[in-house]
Amino acid sequence: MTSRALVALRIAAPPSQVFTAFTAEIGQWWRPNGLFALNGRSDGRLAIEASLGGRIIESYPDGGQFEVGHVRVWEPPDRLVFSWRAASFPPDRETEVHIRFEDVDGGTRVVVEHFGWDGIAQEHVARHGFPLLPFQLRLAEWWRALLYSLADRATE
Amino acid sequence: MTSAAAVPDPLDRTLAALADPHRRQVVELLRERPRRAGELAAELAVRPSVMSRHLKVLRDSKVVEEASPEFDARVRIYSLRSGATAGLRSWLDAVEQGWADQLAALKAHVEQSP
Repeated sequence: MTSRALVALRIAAPPSQVFTAFTAEIGQWWRPNGLFALNGRSDGRLAIEASLGGRIIESYPDGGQFEVGHVRVWEPPDRLVFSWRAASFPPDRETEVHIRFEDVDGGTRVVVEHFGWDGIAQEHVARHGFPLLPFQLRLAEWWRALLYSLADRATE
Repeated sequence: MTSAAAVPDPLDRTLAALADPHRRQVVELLRERPRRAGELAAELAVRPSVMSRHLKVLRDSKVVEEASPEFDARVRIYSLRSGATAGLRSWLDAVEQGWADQLAALKAHVEQSP
């Protein structure tokens, strides 16, 4: 699969501690942002059920829940794989997140690989004509350039 | 009043090129893989002459480019220009930025813990 997002970061704690923090404590550090606004809301609290097949769940203050995915590999403290879908994805589409916790001199290198965006992008193409996010960004740039050039002309 | 001439030419052309539904469909098909002009005409059910006009607009606005396979210079294969195919890449860039933010938050959480 070529449509992979890859990010890695060193953390000054052993893998067992980082694995626990990533899973059991995800509600304490996860920050909803534009891309990861799973259900279009920013007041959700994320949780991972600690076992193979466990659910990834976002819960809201009003008692509502959104199921993000399921744990597909549960190998503490080395490896974690789960499926992942946002509410905006087409019904049969999901992505997959692979996380490795590598021991590096007593610390941990966390490697996140997020697969399957090609399918999502293509679905958006089919529905909207373009991948939603990049197209919107590009369109915004076009409009900005347009408005700047118009402003330049207007103030000449 | 500001005239339409204030709009930068390439921008204007790209917007105009993508304003047409047939040309947007061509872009969608070329996102999957390069195709011959004849294939595109067949898939959109338009006459070859109509398709050739659309392809000229897309070529002139630098959305698509054409190439011929080495074995036959008469065959024209159309594909999206790299700028146009940068969509998936910029999507992945956004995903990577999202995860970088999350991992930074995880790092702060872990390293602050006693």
